[in-house]
Amino acid sequence: MREQLLKSFVDMDEQEAVRIARELVDTDGGAVAVLDTCKEAMEEVGRLFEAGEYFLSELIAAGDMFNQIMEFTLPKLQGDEVTSIGTMVLGTVQGDVHNIGKDIFKVMAEASGINVIDIGIDVPHEKFVEAIKEHKPELVGMCCLITLGVDSMKRTIEVIREAGLRDDIKIIIGGGRVSQAVMEHVGADAWADDAARGVRLSKELLGKE
Amino acid sequence: MVSPEMQKLAEERAARMQAARELKEPDRVPFTGLGGDVIAAYAGITAYEYQFDFEKSRAAVLKWLKDFPSDSAMIGAGGLDCLPLAVAFSDFPDLAGGFMVVNGPMNDILKMKFARFPGRELDENSSPQFIGRSNMDPSEYDELIANPQKFAYEKILPRLSDNFKDLNSPLALATMARAGLERVRQGAEMAKTMAAIAELGYPFGPAGGLSYAPLDFIGDHLRDIPNTVLDLRRYPDKVKAATESILEVLFKLATANPNVASVGFPLHLNEYLSPELYKEFYWPTLKEFVLRLAEKGIKSSMFCEGWHDPHLETLLELPAGWGTAMFEKTDVRKAKKVLQGHTVVQGGIDVGVVISGTPAQIDEYIKQLLDDMMPGGGFILGANVGNLPRNTPIENIAAVYEAVEKYGKY
Repeated sequence: MREQLLKSFVDMDEQEAVRIARELVDTDGGAVAVLDTCKEAMEEVGRLFEAGEYFLSELIAAGDMFNQIMEFTLPKLQGDEVTSIGTMVLGTVQGDVHNIGKDIFKVMAEASGINVIDIGIDVPHEKFVEAIKEHKPELVGMCCLITLGVDSMKRTIEVIREAGLRDDIKIIIGGGRVSQAVMEHVGADAWADDAARGVRLSKELLGKE
Repeated sequence: MVSPEMQKLAEERAARMQAARELKEPDRVPFTGLGGDVIAAYAGITAYEYQFDFEKSRAAVLKWLKDFPSDSAMIGAGGLDCLPLAVAFSDFPDLAGGFMVVNGPMNDILKMKFARFPGRELDENSSPQFIGRSNMDPSEYDELIANPQKFAYEKILPRLSDNFKDLNSPLALATMARAGLERVRQGAEMAKTMAAIAELGYPFGPAGGLSYAPLDFIGDHLRDIPNTVLDLRRYPDKVKAATESILEVLFKLATANPNVASVGFPLHLNEYLSPELYKEFYWPTLKEFVLRLAEKGIKSSMFCEGWHDPHLETLLELPAGWGTAMFEKTDVRKAKKVLQGHTVVQGGIDVGVVISGTPAQIDEYIKQLLDDMMPGGGFILGANVGNLPRNTPIENIAAVYEAVEKYGKY
């Protein structure tokens, strides 16, 4: 059944994937199997995206399937069955109120085992600092869609540095307008203009691949 | 009054643009100039003032166009697409065309929930932003298909703004009356701005319109983007039928003004879709739209937002000379190779380079870009995104204009 779940998930057959997951989740050890299979499927979808075979619509559809299946799977898992490879504080920077890119990235990051603390959109610089103090993440993810976000990311990173927290974390920036040049300009550690690359680099920053 | 000297300059600029639009080589590469939030910062005003205070925004635009001359002019801060309102009133073309875009002062009246403006919902130096939200349940597709105008008026408008919650209320009627008055006020302001810009030697061509690919109308205004993408798999036939219905009403709106010579389409879902989904759901009605406009002698321009590479070849299905394609992330060199002699290519300047480069790097960057893009003509130089942020170094902007001056001669 795991093979079928994996195949229908990766093939974007939503109804079939959800149906199999519902069946599998009630078997012995099924919840863990569903979780692992869906994670594997998300990874494969991300790989297909980076290979140019899948597009944003497939990432959105996969994320939606993942969320649908987790809704009935997570309550059946024991606490120690959900492991995390690291924590990330994630937000769209001050002045930018877009959320689509952040939300696509979030579900893919969660599926890869990152514990994501989503602090929302139009996040003031100080709120990033507070969240870093509170959650002690290894990673901070900053998103922006509009060009104004570039300035805002730069200032946010300055504020984090002034608070003495910059050396404790790795920073990845994401969004439609970021690039290597923007990363160097704002002082981040990695950049991604799509969610799949973002997740891959986040795992690298965590030393997990 | 426009001096004879400035009149001549305007004619040269217009001819330059026109030659490129006819896929020819002009005397110099036509350059649309840079702009955006930085115009307000350069004039020492906030983004809020730029959006809401016409006197100040006019002065800012004039200062910018004087100090950074290019071949076409922007006339102010611009606004956010508000097509459902225009669709709702599409039986009244004298009115509807005026409500396709909502700017800050207009939204003080309309109170559209998708709009975020500086000094209102946002910080006084933020950019105006459109926030997609789902305004329609998938069970309503049949109603939309049956009559998009009626659906936009009766169902969508009340969900877009609380002022239209009850369409029969005095508040709803007063809102439209006030919007009409505001439209007249802004029309007069705009005429004043355009007259002042004309004195600087900038041409104003024939009227241009704005429209949408029908699937983008669903994505931006009805279902939101993630839901639309899911609907393609869940309700494919309904989505397809809806795009066909929407095409009719959008075409009617786009051609309502008999003087319109060009229609612009900002493409949004293009980057989200695989070539298969694009060809099945997005492209057929957009293609039909452009073909029907071409039959009437109206040119189109598409702003291919995001990454358009997988769909480049579809443009070749249009007749040569159909119009202009602007690109954001797609490499204009690659686009020109595919589209040479068929489609005008516009863009090329990555705003990321202008924000973070040095003047020397920018000089070299523009030189290489022009070396690659000018031969053969049919190229209009511009930014890949219309908005440079407030803190963009002015010396970098000057470096762009100087390099265009240096290397832009044919």
